[in-house]
Amino acid sequence: MQTMFSGQWGRWQQVFVGLALILVVLHFFIYVYYSFSLMQFPFDYDQGEGFELNDTLYLSEGKSPYRNNETWPFYASNYPPIYHVVLIPFVWIFGPEYWYGRLVAFLSTLVTAGTIGFAVYRDGGRRREIAALMGFAFLASNYIYHIGPLFRQHYFMVMFEVLAVVTLANALERPQQRQRLRLGMGLLLIAGYTKQLAAYTCAAVFLWLFIRNPRRSIVYSLGLGAAAGLIFLILNIITEGQWYTNIVAANVNQFIMSQFTGLLKQYVRLHWPILLLAGLLTVYELYFARLSIYAVWFVVATISTIGAGKWGAGDSYFATSLAAACILAGIFISRTLNQTWVFPENYLSRPFLNMTFSPGLKQSLGMLCLILMIIYGVTVVKMPTSGAVFEPISQALGFEPAPGHRYPLYDAAGWTPGYATIGHLTSQEDEDSGWKIVDRIRASDLPVLSEEAGFSLQAEREVISNPTQLLNLYENDLFDPKNLIAVIESQGFGLIIFRAQFYPEPVLSAIYDAYIPQEVIPMNGFNYELWIPASDWETRRDIRDYLNKNPAEALEVAIPAEIEDHRSWMFSMMDRWGWTPVIALEAAPSTECESREFIRLAQRIEIRLCGDKLIFQP
Amino acid sequence: MLNSHFTLTKRQLGLLAIIGGGVALVGILLFDELGLSDPQGGFGPSQKIGMALAALMLLVGISLLPLGDTPA
Repeated sequence: MQTMFSGQWGRWQQVFVGLALILVVLHFFIYVYYSFSLMQFPFDYDQGEGFELNDTLYLSEGKSPYRNNETWPFYASNYPPIYHVVLIPFVWIFGPEYWYGRLVAFLSTLVTAGTIGFAVYRDGGRRREIAALMGFAFLASNYIYHIGPLFRQHYFMVMFEVLAVVTLANALERPQQRQRLRLGMGLLLIAGYTKQLAAYTCAAVFLWLFIRNPRRSIVYSLGLGAAAGLIFLILNIITEGQWYTNIVAANVNQFIMSQFTGLLKQYVRLHWPILLLAGLLTVYELYFARLSIYAVWFVVATISTIGAGKWGAGDSYFATSLAAACILAGIFISRTLNQTWVFPENYLSRPFLNMTFSPGLKQSLGMLCLILMIIYGVTVVKMPTSGAVFEPISQALGFEPAPGHRYPLYDAAGWTPGYATIGHLTSQEDEDSGWKIVDRIRASDLPVLSEEAGFSLQAEREVISNPTQLLNLYENDLFDPKNLIAVIESQGFGLIIFRAQFYPEPVLSAIYDAYIPQEVIPMNGFNYELWIPASDWETRRDIRDYLNKNPAEALEVAIPAEIEDHRSWMFSMMDRWGWTPVIALEAAPSTECESREFIRLAQRIEIRLCGDKLIFQP
Repeated sequence: MLNSHFTLTKRQLGLLAIIGGGVALVGILLFDELGLSDPQGGFGPSQKIGMALAALMLLVGISLLPLGDTPA
């Protein structure tokens, strides 16, 4: 440190490095506090966590989570298994719990940050303080903070991607070249079988290898492709084709351009200091040095963020690009502070080669880099605004949730479609509400259909269906919901729990017919709707089936005894199925029966309401 | 090229970028001309982003050509 920060400039640089480090370390403390608080919450904090836990349970019992969605329990996983496999020993020891999945995901972000720091130190000129700064800068990102400690596998994949790239970065210059290349390829394989998105990092690695030596690129890409393909084939055979359906076909979702552009703008607005430095180093390598694996990876990973526009995707898709950017920016800052830039003569450098730059100008460039990192530390501010620690701090700083925000959280990222505004602390009320829902499940004699797996898992009941998976498959014509609808229409579920009503439209329609909303329980910012079987469904079902047959003969049905207002019951039922009442131009003759005509497309039916009877006359 | 010591030069990388960018540019335009893109969406933002990236790749390729045999 003494030699690196010498003289007056050196002292100022020391101050600026210190300031930048203080900011990112403060972000790190908030991250640790939030993560450990979240580990204690026993329910889904964000949609999808419970399904990851359920996948782990399947694998821990030696069962495949890649199943046929059209048969009971209408459930399948849409992610590869590595993350879940790693968690299996925890299931054996502790049973189904959220904390270990969150802990492993959190630790994986720390390993990623440590690896980024290591790469900056090794490849950037051995500056410990800049290595630490960039590792913490990665963790300080709003994108890492709010998703990092969730029971999700995305950042577990990013960890393997970063480990692979850093292993391969100088593999060609090392004596144990083959071992390093093989290790890097192995890590890429693991990343790919943690989450499919690692394919882009594989593409970047082979592109870089191709630039360095096409032969090696071809040999290793064929080797990795063969290994990945063989595993894929085996899994597909074992699961009778369900692996392909659930892992590949189910992930072809609608692309929403506004979601991608919104997230891209947000990514640049939050991380522009790091992206600027990373971009400068990439341009430098392109024209004045050899392209490093980091630069190629940064470009490919940034282009691949276009996938963030898919329905169901989000800001986590930018994490790989950010990791690459942090390494490049760290190397750029280290070289600037060390003043080790070299510009070989070419048509671009020639006009500047004879110019002399004062030591002060060179030093101030280093200062400018550090100022950019301080700006970054201030730009990515976020913190919970509740709890004994953060409530007074946020009040003192004047931080409060954005208007209309559902959680006690200040987040400078703002909101755009695809960005989950989470990162708040849960409350005792949230937990109590969760247990109340669990008690309702336990009280049911029949199975329960829940949009979140966590409640069923806590009640020790079977998890039935994964709504977003069913929706994705349905949208791709790969899911026929008839069997699930048959269970719903026979009122085979004692309780249905909605959070966002993500089921395919025919499934939702069947639920709206056969069940009625009974209670709304707010928990963690969402209103959980509890629906119970409708007592009049049997009668309405007979009527619906009769009307759908386009009948020629009349039908007489008795209105269920519990219905008080027969008229409004009839109108709401017909309205639900798309029947419109014909406006009567003349007053009906006064009889003891009220007669109304209804139309639906080319169908017409007359209904007479006589006391507690309905008579349908085509 | 398949020699274990062969490495791409800046000029070769530039040529590959020109070919890649050019093919992508023509491909996107042809895709639209042949009516293979969404008939309702027309020449939308996705194609515009693709065109911009392809054009950038082409320009980078051209700018690399004068760098000659320097290893890429």
